[in-house]
Amino acid sequence: MMAKTILTVDDSGSLRQMLAFSLRDAGYDVVEAVDGLDGLEKAKQKTVDLVLTDQNMPGMDGLSLIKALRAMKNYESVPILMLTTESGSDIKAMGKAAGATGWLVKPFDPARLTEVVGKLIG
Amino acid sequence: MVANNNMTPREQMNQQVLHLLSGVSTHGDQHLAEVERDLVQMDVLLEEAIKKLGESFMAIHAAIRKQQEALDSMMAEDLSAPDAAVHLEKIRTEINSHVGAALTGLQFQDMTSQLIRRMVQHLTGLRTVFGELDANESVLPGYSNEALLEKLNRISDRVGARCSEQEGGMRKCVNQSHMESGEIELF
Repeated sequence: MMAKTILTVDDSGSLRQMLAFSLRDAGYDVVEAVDGLDGLEKAKQKTVDLVLTDQNMPGMDGLSLIKALRAMKNYESVPILMLTTESGSDIKAMGKAAGATGWLVKPFDPARLTEVVGKLIG
Repeated sequence: MVANNNMTPREQMNQQVLHLLSGVSTHGDQHLAEVERDLVQMDVLLEEAIKKLGESFMAIHAAIRKQQEALDSMMAEDLSAPDAAVHLEKIRTEINSHVGAALTGLQFQDMTSQLIRRMVQHLTGLRTVFGELDANESVLPGYSNEALLEKLNRISDRVGARCSEQEGGMRKCVNQSHMESGEIELF
């Protein structure tokens, strides 16, 4: 069976490194993007099974990326998780309205992250 | 400051005010520029350190896993040692748990980096404010007290306006005060 592919979008190199390690260790393929614009470009190149994005990034932030992805036919039902330091109810509501599937507050625990990802895409 | 004996007391007072404002601006800017450089350097060093730590840590994890796979293979051929197999599985679970905790802890750089960026923004804001104080250079000795007061008022207004402009762009995004894993909510 082919491994599912996850697109991780974060401007922090160390965070991307840890996400890729955790997800690959759980059996997923990982595509990395350094910010929202890069994420959008990578998402266009290949339709992934799940997107995991940070909120605060230069160029294009996470909320804008989610809106742009949801406007694309092939990303209408792809799970998109926000992984961010932000935990305020206002911004969470904005994430939900933009089309986010869920909200994860940093720092992430690899076991809990892969458990959530597993629930969403197997 | 060079004293001019031909100046009236009021002119001297004006010059003192100018000197003071100029000094505050120049020195404040120098100190803040140093702090800003140090903070940026700290960010670079932290990023590099955490990357090296991460690479080392992952290599150790991979080595442990290979060792575990070899042990598993050995144990599979010795069916008379079920207790050893259970023990090895327990160790593996424990290692995974430690690896997960370390990965959670290692994410401090992501947060400190955001905090540092915000501090740099604040320092840049302070420099802008000090820069506004320096704009007073055009006030020359000979201005009346009223004219000087008007000038100072305008400076205060500009400083206030700069502060207001900067407040909007410096929203606090990191409120975590510990490194425990954060909450998860599915919509």
